[in-house]
Amino acid sequence: MSFESDLLAHLPQLRRYARGLTGDRAWADDLVQDATERALNRAKSFHAGTNLRAWLFTIMRNLYIDQLRGRRDIAVDDETAPWRQMAAPRGEVDGLVLRDVQRALYCLPVEQREVMLLVCVEEMSYQEASVVLNVPTGTVMSRLSRAREHMRVLLGEEPGRKTSPSSLKVVSRS
Amino acid sequence: MSSQDRPPEGGDRMGPPRPDRDLQALSAFIDEELQGDERDAVAQRIAADPASEATAAAYRAQDNALRALFADQGEPQVVRLRPPARERYLIAACFLVVGVACGFLMHMLLPSLGESARFAERADIAYAVYAPEQRHAVEVAASQQDHLVTWLSKRLNRALTIPSLAEYGFQLVGGRLLPDEEGPAAQFMYQNATGERLTLYMTTATIRRNDSKIRSLKDGQRTTFYWAWDRVGYALSGQIGEAKLQAIAYDTCKELGGDPKNW
Repeated sequence: MSFESDLLAHLPQLRRYARGLTGDRAWADDLVQDATERALNRAKSFHAGTNLRAWLFTIMRNLYIDQLRGRRDIAVDDETAPWRQMAAPRGEVDGLVLRDVQRALYCLPVEQREVMLLVCVEEMSYQEASVVLNVPTGTVMSRLSRAREHMRVLLGEEPGRKTSPSSLKVVSRS
Repeated sequence: MSSQDRPPEGGDRMGPPRPDRDLQALSAFIDEELQGDERDAVAQRIAADPASEATAAAYRAQDNALRALFADQGEPQVVRLRPPARERYLIAACFLVVGVACGFLMHMLLPSLGESARFAERADIAYAVYAPEQRHAVEVAASQQDHLVTWLSKRLNRALTIPSLAEYGFQLVGGRLLPDEEGPAAQFMYQNATGERLTLYMTTATIRRNDSKIRSLKDGQRTTFYWAWDRVGYALSGQIGEAKLQAIAYDTCKELGGDPKNW
């Protein structure tokens, strides 16, 4: 298979990751567009036989981080927040629970959100996620653990810990 | 790496029922990132400890919810393939250069072609009008050739030369002043023994550049060969046959200073 057709095969995943990151369909589509163009223009710098998916995700993730600097935080409690307009989830899981999970996801700081999306949704190994995020695998593990705990707190499932509402409002980005 | 990425040392945690390291192990366990003893230890802890079991279940529920949230909806992704930015700028720059060059060429070529064609048309019409004229074919006759040259040179603001066409059997009849589009023009008339007539038309007003390539214009029986040299437009008109007229035009052009290499 050619590089282009390999790349095309990864487009649905790229878009899913873009939507997860941005919570915004239009932004996600632009992100996939930009990432695909950049990948095609830099096809020569991809080493055949290495992990194409990680390479593509890295390109798109770097673009996202660049674009994020020019934007405000995701307005989680805004009734018109783009993520609320994303397609209503279907399937066997309760829609209301999904809404809560969705909201919690966008309350997470971006480092926690991206690692959750890579491992939990894209089902990447810690090693692959560490390539995409450009951090050691140990950091992937600790970030993910913190993200899951954070989400439990946000979903109100964590009985042992009493957290004041202010600590839930995570808007920091490093 | 930010400070929150550093694994906690856990020194000052009070009575930790679930230290961060245990939570990390649980998290890694459900991601199948643990091997051997570590994996077995966590599996045993989940089996023995209801709190650990609940945590693992909660993590799995999160995973399921997230996957459901981002289930592939099978929409096509449209990706437009554009050339890279640098190439786009390059292409745009090329178009700009080509556009400017085209504009410049049009500016160079079109007016001169248009002018040439227009003065040749006027020369042709002047021939059609005056060549059949018997009594008033010219204003100033060849007998006053010096006066004719001085007068028309003055009006056209250029030292004119009246070429001799004697070697083709044509003698000068005389000349007249005519209006061209933007100024005066001179017409010299020649006639041979059988009464055939030629006119050599000259104008300076609309000639802005040299084009000594000889072109022709036909209208019925009449043919006009025209060129421009030294900011004078020349047009030789007649109905004596194209080949013969062309030969005369070439010689006249050469005699008046045109460059035969351009023919």
